[in-house]
Amino acid sequence: MFNVKVKSDVLKGVIDVVSPLVNEAKFNITSKGISLRAVDPAHVAMVDLQVKDKAFEEYKANEMELGIDMDKLASIMRLSGSGDIITLEYDEDTNRLIIKIGNLIRKMGLIDTAGMPDPKMPNLNLPAKVVLKASELNQGVRASEAVSDHLALTVDKDNFELYAEGDTDTVNLKLPKDLLLELNTTTKCKSLFSIDYFSNMIKPVKGEDPITIMLGNDNPIRVEFNIADNKGHVTYLLAPRIESE
Amino acid sequence: MGVDLGDLFKKEKISFKDLHDRVIAIDAYNVLHQFLSTIRQRDGTPLKDANGRITSHLSGLLYRTANLVEARIKPVYVFDGKPHPLKAKTLEERLKRRELAEKEWKEALEAGDLVKARVKAQQTSRVTDEIIQQSKELLDALGIPYIQAPGEGEAQASYMVKKGDAYAVGSQDYDCLLVGSPVLIRNLTSSERRKLPGKQAYVKVNPELIRLKPNLKTLGITHKQLIDMAILIGTDFNDGIKGIGPKKSLTLIKKNGNVENVLATIGVENPPTLEEIKEIRKIFLQPKVTNNYSLRWNPPDKEKVLHILCDQHQFTQERVETVLEKFSNIDNIIKQKTLF
Repeated sequence: MFNVKVKSDVLKGVIDVVSPLVNEAKFNITSKGISLRAVDPAHVAMVDLQVKDKAFEEYKANEMELGIDMDKLASIMRLSGSGDIITLEYDEDTNRLIIKIGNLIRKMGLIDTAGMPDPKMPNLNLPAKVVLKASELNQGVRASEAVSDHLALTVDKDNFELYAEGDTDTVNLKLPKDLLLELNTTTKCKSLFSIDYFSNMIKPVKGEDPITIMLGNDNPIRVEFNIADNKGHVTYLLAPRIESE
Repeated sequence: MGVDLGDLFKKEKISFKDLHDRVIAIDAYNVLHQFLSTIRQRDGTPLKDANGRITSHLSGLLYRTANLVEARIKPVYVFDGKPHPLKAKTLEERLKRRELAEKEWKEALEAGDLVKARVKAQQTSRVTDEIIQQSKELLDALGIPYIQAPGEGEAQASYMVKKGDAYAVGSQDYDCLLVGSPVLIRNLTSSERRKLPGKQAYVKVNPELIRLKPNLKTLGITHKQLIDMAILIGTDFNDGIKGIGPKKSLTLIKKNGNVENVLATIGVENPPTLEEIKEIRKIFLQPKVTNNYSLRWNPPDKEKVLHILCDQHQFTQERVETVLEKFSNIDNIIKQKTLF
């Protein structure tokens, strides 16, 4: 059984987190909430999502899996306004998700979850930790998008730094420790990342909300933040780019 | 070639964009054969260099690979190893058909029937050892990995998909599904134009994707039963039963469970022996494959490519250089690490 009511914005937030990485997603449902872990087809990025039952207006569910076509769900959710409360109900007989937006009833066919992978979270040793406001990071990434397809992130004991270099232009964002919510590292760490992926990962976080970043040297980055009024948590992993072989 | 199961399977239309960043294990023999039969002049003569050597495969390989890399698809070509002894008969028949087509091509040319000449010429296509060797050299120069399979190429390619090293097998041949490839992609071309076999007609085609598991579920059979169906229809390793096509075979296998039971119910002349059935199942279920390969893409060695194509085979340098520009994307492919 899966029968819930949820704010449109909370559901849209979930879509924003998942759909940049995968078109088809397997949501694991329990009586305590929903979760998902997925890797993009190129094995470059991973998302781990947990949303507690408290994030929903009403939540009634038993253990089950829902295979969802994310593009389809996104286009359905575009029919809803930001204050709407959406009803989601699983119809076992037809294997469809019944989505009610006001008086609109939309029945969506589900995807077979058999054979969809359950990726394991790789063990990573990332010595540097930074917590900063989404708006600060967003500004740096937006600026970088215009000059290059990749950026470098550096953390040392005093600063967090973002650097992007194109053929003619560069972007540099340096945030000293006192402008950060937290900075913690034993060594200097630097890794490069694809801006495409990275910008999608931080997009769901808005304004003053904190983003936690864990960084190593030429190692994947771990990005964490809360969604759904802190009743949901997102962890992203993104594999680095390397400058040359 | 292979078993024609096409009508039974549900195909999903896809575009190159859906394959972005994915590794596709391409059945090299299949694709080379395709190049050799389609890349020809109007009268059916293949492309040739100044010394009269065929170059259709080199042209096809260069353009096809360039288009894939440009679309950020990671191709790896898988070459056939030793054919299974049971395939000898099929290979012999192919040889005979080619010899006949060769004769008919010449006759059509003499009679001035260009349409027939081209059709017959296409049927003479043969992937020779020399063509394979030249193709491998070109792939090396282009920085594209290839793998030498111990047995059938499609079996090795399917194994790589099952292992997670590749996303799909790229082949026109449905046999990949018999060897258990979870995903098969057909029409892996961006030209969106494909010749109808035996005719001088072209149809617009899109890449299409076929998933094994959901299709088996829809058909209501197991993977093993799919193989049994193929044995009834006829594979590269055995002649089929006369009068049994895909649909009839499906009905029979669903009703009787397996080949042995079907053969016991319907009397046929010269049925495959139990040993043969066992052996063919083994070819598809436990094919000879290797783990001895590495998947690495490199930027093309421009000088080497120009040397092979222009110095040795008289391709136009300017054209080759333009195609090589499409490989600039390989940089993104190489530099981006993966999580596992």
